[in-house]
Amino acid sequence: MSCSCGSNAENVFLPKEAEIISAKKMTDTETHFSLRMKDGSTFDFEPGQIVEAGVFGFGEIPLGLSSSPTQTDSFELVVREVGKVSKALTELGEGDTMMIRGPMGKGFPLAELRGKDVLIVAGGIGLCPTRSLIRYIMARRDEFKKFTLFYGTRSPKELLFEEDLVEWRASDGVACLETVDQADESWKGNVGVITTLFEKAEGLDADTHVIICGPPVMYKFVIQKLVSIGIPHSNVFVDLERRMKCGIGKCGHCQINDKYVCLDGPVFRFSDIEELEEAI
Amino acid sequence: MKRCYISDEHLNGFVEALMGRGPVIAPVAKQSRFVFEKLETVDDLMLDYDTTILPPKVAFFPTKQELVTFDGKEAKSCINPTDQVLFGVHPYDIKGIAMSDKFYTDSHVDENYMANRRATTIVGSSVQKHYKHAFFGSVCMEVEVIGHDMFLTRVAGGYVADVLTDKGEALLGLGQFGDATDAQAGEADQVNQAAMENCPEKLENTSAQIRDKMRSSFRSDVWEELSEDCFSCGSCNTVCPTCYCFDVQDEWGLDGVSATRCRTWDSCLTAEFSEVSVQGGCENFREQRAERFRHRFMRKAAYLNEQLGGPACVGCGRCSGACTADIANPVVVINKIMEQ
Ligand code: SF4
Ligand code: SF4
Ligand code: FES
Repeated sequence: MSCSCGSNAENVFLPKEAEIISAKKMTDTETHFSLRMKDGSTFDFEPGQIVEAGVFGFGEIPLGLSSSPTQTDSFELVVREVGKVSKALTELGEGDTMMIRGPMGKGFPLAELRGKDVLIVAGGIGLCPTRSLIRYIMARRDEFKKFTLFYGTRSPKELLFEEDLVEWRASDGVACLETVDQADESWKGNVGVITTLFEKAEGLDADTHVIICGPPVMYKFVIQKLVSIGIPHSNVFVDLERRMKCGIGKCGHCQINDKYVCLDGPVFRFSDIEELEEAI
Repeated sequence: MKRCYISDEHLNGFVEALMGRGPVIAPVAKQSRFVFEKLETVDDLMLDYDTTILPPKVAFFPTKQELVTFDGKEAKSCINPTDQVLFGVHPYDIKGIAMSDKFYTDSHVDENYMANRRATTIVGSSVQKHYKHAFFGSVCMEVEVIGHDMFLTRVAGGYVADVLTDKGEALLGLGQFGDATDAQAGEADQVNQAAMENCPEKLENTSAQIRDKMRSSFRSDVWEELSEDCFSCGSCNTVCPTCYCFDVQDEWGLDGVSATRCRTWDSCLTAEFSEVSVQGGCENFREQRAERFRHRFMRKAAYLNEQLGGPACVGCGRCSGACTADIANPVVVINKIMEQ
C-alpha cells in the first residue's frame, strides 16, 4: 500500500532515525541498545521519560530511557522480547536503524529530589528506566544526599547491568542492596522478596524520597513498608507501564481514569494516583 | 452574522456548483439509514435525514487513516489534505466536531486530523426529522455549536443560510442567494428552537450535576447491573461523534520491504483495549466488562465534562440505536446514576 505523501512538517507520528552503536544481549530476553540520532542532533530528555521505538512493518512500543541525559553522545534503551514489535527490535544489530519518537511524558521529579535522601526500589526490568535516574545521581552525586538502591530479581541470572552494579556497590555514599527470590550456588547475597531489604538498609527516614518501579504486585508491599518508616505517600513516586499507541494524549490506550501515562506520567506521585482504581 | 435565503429551486444548483469545485461529503441514503458520503449526483442529497450511521468526522478522520509510510529507506508523512465541503451537518454533530477539534489540538496538535479539518468547509443544516433516540436538546448545553462556516435552516419554500465565516461567505457567489427577510429569519429561529424542544428523549440534570454525581458513583455496584448484558462489541464507541480513540498498526507493502503505519478507530469497550504487557506478563487494568462500561461514561460525563464544561456527548442517540443489548443509551444510564 502506498500514499501520495505531502510534506513531513508537523506529523507527530513521523519517527526519527537512530543508529544503533551497539546491541548487547543481557539475558535470554533482554537486549541493551546504545543509539545516536542519525541527523546528529543530541537527544534531550529527562531521566524517566519514554520514547516510542519502532521498526516499520511491525510497529512501535513505549520504552523508558535507561541512560542518563548527562551522557550526551548516545542514549540507551533495553528491549525485553515479549511480542512481535519487541522481537523485531531485538533482531536489530550494530549499524542498523531504529525508529524513535520522543522523548515523551514526565520523568522523575529532579528538582524535588535534589538535596534529599533518595531510595530507588527496582524490581526486574524496573531497573531499566530507573537506571536513567541512578546514573544521573551518580554523575551529579553532590546534588543529592544519601542514595540507596534496592534491586530484586527472581533469580541471579536475571540480574541486569552487572557492570553498573559493580560500580554502584563500590561508590561512596551509595547503599546498593540486592536480593533474589530464588538463589543458585553462585549467589552469596540476600534471598527473599524485595521488602526483606528494608531490614538491611540504614538511615531511611520520613524525609527520604522514594522511586518505585517493578511488577504491579510489588507496589503495595513496598508502600506498606514505607508507611511504617513514616514516609508520606506524597514523597513516593511510581513509574507505570501502559500500552501506548500515540504518546501524545490522543489514542486513549494509556488512560488511567482521567490521567494519561504518556502526558501526566509515566512517573506519578503516588498520592496523586492512589485513589485511582485503574492505576496499579 | 449575515442571513441569506436560497429557494428550493436554486439549492441543487448551489450544491452542484460546490461539487464542481471539489468533493462534497453529504448525507445520502443507505438502505433504510443514512451515511455521510461523497455526493455523486445532487439527487442523492438527503437533507431530511434523521441521523447517519457513522458521524461526519469520517470526512477528516476516516475509520482507517494512513499516518506515515516507509519505502524501505525513508519515512514520509501521509498528511495530504484535499479541499472539500462537508454538507448538511446537524447542529449536534457540529458540536461533536468542535469537541474533536479540541481533543486533537490540546497539548499536542495532531496534523493528521487538523490538516484535513482545515481543508474542510462545513455547511450545517437544521434537523428536519428526529432520530428516535435523539436528546440533543438536553445535553451539554454549555458547549456552543461552533466551527462551521454556513448553516442552512429549512423554512417555507427554501433555506435560510446563515453565513458564519469568511469561508462561508466565499460560498455565496456559487448560488442564487438573496437576503433573508425578517419573517424568514424569524421562522428559521423558530424551526431550530423547535428541533431542540422536540427531541424524543431527555436528560434531566445539568452538566455540573452530572459531573459531580458521576465522579462519586465510581465505586457503585450499579455499573455491574447496567453492564450485565454488554457484549464488549464496541459499537457504542464506533458510532459516537465524540469518541476519538484509535489503534495504530503497520501494514506491509507488497514488496515486503515498504510499510505503512495506519490508525483505525478503536473502542475502549473491547477487552483488548487496555491490555498491557507489564514485565513480560499481560495485565488488563479494565478487565471487567463493568469497568469498561463505566470508563466510557466516566470519560464522557465526568473527565471530559470537566475539560469542556459539559459532557462529551452531543445527544445524537446513535449509541442507543447501535447497541444490540440495548444498554448503551446515555439518557437511561445517566438518569439512573442521577437517581442513586
Ligand atoms: S454497551 Fe452495547 S454497544 Fe457498547 S460494547 Fe456493550 S453491547 Fe456493545
Ligand atoms: S455518547 Fe451516544 S448519544 Fe452521546 S454523542 Fe456519543 S453516540 Fe451520541
Ligand atoms: S499513548 Fe495514546 S493517549 Fe497516551
